[in-house]
Amino acid sequence: MSNSSPTLSYKEALSQSMREALYARPHSILMGQGVTDPTRIFGTTHGLVEEFGPARVLDLPIAEEGTTGFAIGAALNGVYPISVHIRMDFLVLAMNQIVNLAAKYRYMYGGRFEVPLLIRAVVGRSWGQGPQHSQSLQSLFAHIPGLVVLMPSNANDVLNSYRYAIQEYRSPVLSIEHRFLYDLVFKKEDPSTPNRNPFSARTVQEGKDVTIVATSYMVQEAQKAAVWVLEEKGIQCEIIDLHCVSQVDHELIFKSVQKTRKLIIADTSWSPYGVCAEVSRGILERNPSVLKYPALSLGLQHTPTPTSHALEKHYYPDMGNIVDAVYQATQNQKVHGFDLPSEDFKKNQRIKFKGPF
Amino acid sequence: MGQSHASHYDNLFRQALRIRLVEERIADLYPTDQIQSPVHLSIGQEHVSVAACGPLRKDDLVFGTYRGHALYLAKGGDLNAMMAELYGRTTGCGKGKAGSMHLCAPEVGMMGASAIVASTIPHAVGAALAAQLRNSGQVITCFFGEGATAEGVYHESLNFASVKKLPILWICENNDLAIYTRFKPLHSYEIYQHARSYGITSERIENGMDLENLSQVCKSKIEAIRNGSGPQFLEVMTYRYLQHVGPSEDYNLGYRHSSELDLWKARDPLVQDLKRVKQWTPEILREIDEAVLFAENSPFPTEKDLYEDVY
Repeated sequence: MSNSSPTLSYKEALSQSMREALYARPHSILMGQGVTDPTRIFGTTHGLVEEFGPARVLDLPIAEEGTTGFAIGAALNGVYPISVHIRMDFLVLAMNQIVNLAAKYRYMYGGRFEVPLLIRAVVGRSWGQGPQHSQSLQSLFAHIPGLVVLMPSNANDVLNSYRYAIQEYRSPVLSIEHRFLYDLVFKKEDPSTPNRNPFSARTVQEGKDVTIVATSYMVQEAQKAAVWVLEEKGIQCEIIDLHCVSQVDHELIFKSVQKTRKLIIADTSWSPYGVCAEVSRGILERNPSVLKYPALSLGLQHTPTPTSHALEKHYYPDMGNIVDAVYQATQNQKVHGFDLPSEDFKKNQRIKFKGPF
Repeated sequence: MGQSHASHYDNLFRQALRIRLVEERIADLYPTDQIQSPVHLSIGQEHVSVAACGPLRKDDLVFGTYRGHALYLAKGGDLNAMMAELYGRTTGCGKGKAGSMHLCAPEVGMMGASAIVASTIPHAVGAALAAQLRNSGQVITCFFGEGATAEGVYHESLNFASVKKLPILWICENNDLAIYTRFKPLHSYEIYQHARSYGITSERIENGMDLENLSQVCKSKIEAIRNGSGPQFLEVMTYRYLQHVGPSEDYNLGYRHSSELDLWKARDPLVQDLKRVKQWTPEILREIDEAVLFAENSPFPTEKDLYEDVY
């Protein structure tokens, strides 16, 4: 991979971030179950143990609470830890260390301690990952004061926010990486672009008719939907990539909705008590009358993830649901009568992921 | 009396006595409601912390539990900052956000204490990994009670510490009481023997009141670790004189009998060696008076402080 290449895949950005971290901070470690195994966390830790040695790139037993506690202890003794979980579902086993310890250390000791660390957690989807291999649990963690929860939707956000987290930020960061994004290729951002806070939300595209706030992989679906409604009906969508779900940029969203008067929220998880609920709260508490049509939440159906693909297609929202929501909001009625993308069309647009893993 | 002239044992004794008198003062003050948070007093168990911290360097790190007053003071934490913390003042070691259960003194290697049982045990592993990576020569000591050994993360931590031959001294303070619950009916193993199954050198000290012996054992373990032995394990049998949380005795509840207390007190040098107790009590009490005064005269945090140090 050449640095001068104009494009970068999500996976390459992850790999580059990990290498850069180990270079930039001699006292840093990368650890997790599988970081040195033959597949190297979907290819994001390739070559690292060979380059930096097993003392800094550590394969770990399957011990999620321990792993997270090890990270905290290392951070307390001058080493920057990055821990990786190939499925976010397993992070529930580390909840105690994340919620009761990492998130509290700075505060409950009156600022005497810092625990700068990065936890990477991968969300699986498709090929029947099922109830325990597909969960996107951002709201469980974003709820807790003291944690920064990121959901980078593209390669540039991975590079910029991981660099900032690892080299400058002094508290725990949890980053949720959607497996669907790994093989997508992104145009590299001009490095001379004026700096913004690498943890902040970003307006992906401007538009006057409707605001779509999206997280992670749903930014992709939102962009596809935006192209469709523009081509079909000339509707201009404004898309905001939330990126940091723990500190929602309510002002950016509110300003956008002041302009468009319509809000759609598309998240990779369940809507109740989640990102959809939180973004809606931001509007409600500022000025609900800014909305000309009720806000529309597009999250997962409120069930555990089914395994059969016959059910998966009803479970996950996609560009078709977003197009439908855009038409509802812009036509000011639930039943609008406009054509939605066909199953065949969506199938061609969909990310093709074939298992087993 | 200059400390440099005191014998090694005198020094240990004085430290243990200081901790006991501090905690007795806390118990006396508690009914005044100046300390408005739970206190888990270590009275009866002071010797373990004193013995283990004695041979440690300032930059050696210790991790503790909510029953952490003894460890904090033994590692060299400031008494004024501790008392102010109990009083919820800004001059406290956690600026009033920690209270008794989360004492810390990073300047002397006291790396905090958690109210969630067993939760600092993996921190010791991480800190020891860091010590190994940075080649710092630090020994990491981790204190926990016998109840913590049933938590999964305890096993995750012992396993990995052994695999990586980390410089850790594990100290299990076995007071046989998880609040009111005895160890034996609910656990199928002997703690020190079980630790050996991880390939960790481990032994039990039956008399946790024998300050001199405890000190010798800790010293040799810490030297061995410093010389690269990998982790070492000590189970120390000891006794909690007072209730799990709060300032009082609780023998009236019937879950234990005061004859048990009498047995331990008969071994406790802080009870038996009245000559040494009398020798140092007055000067220690003066120090405690000053600490209480410091706490009482310190400001409370203000609303602005609520929002500090979250991220």
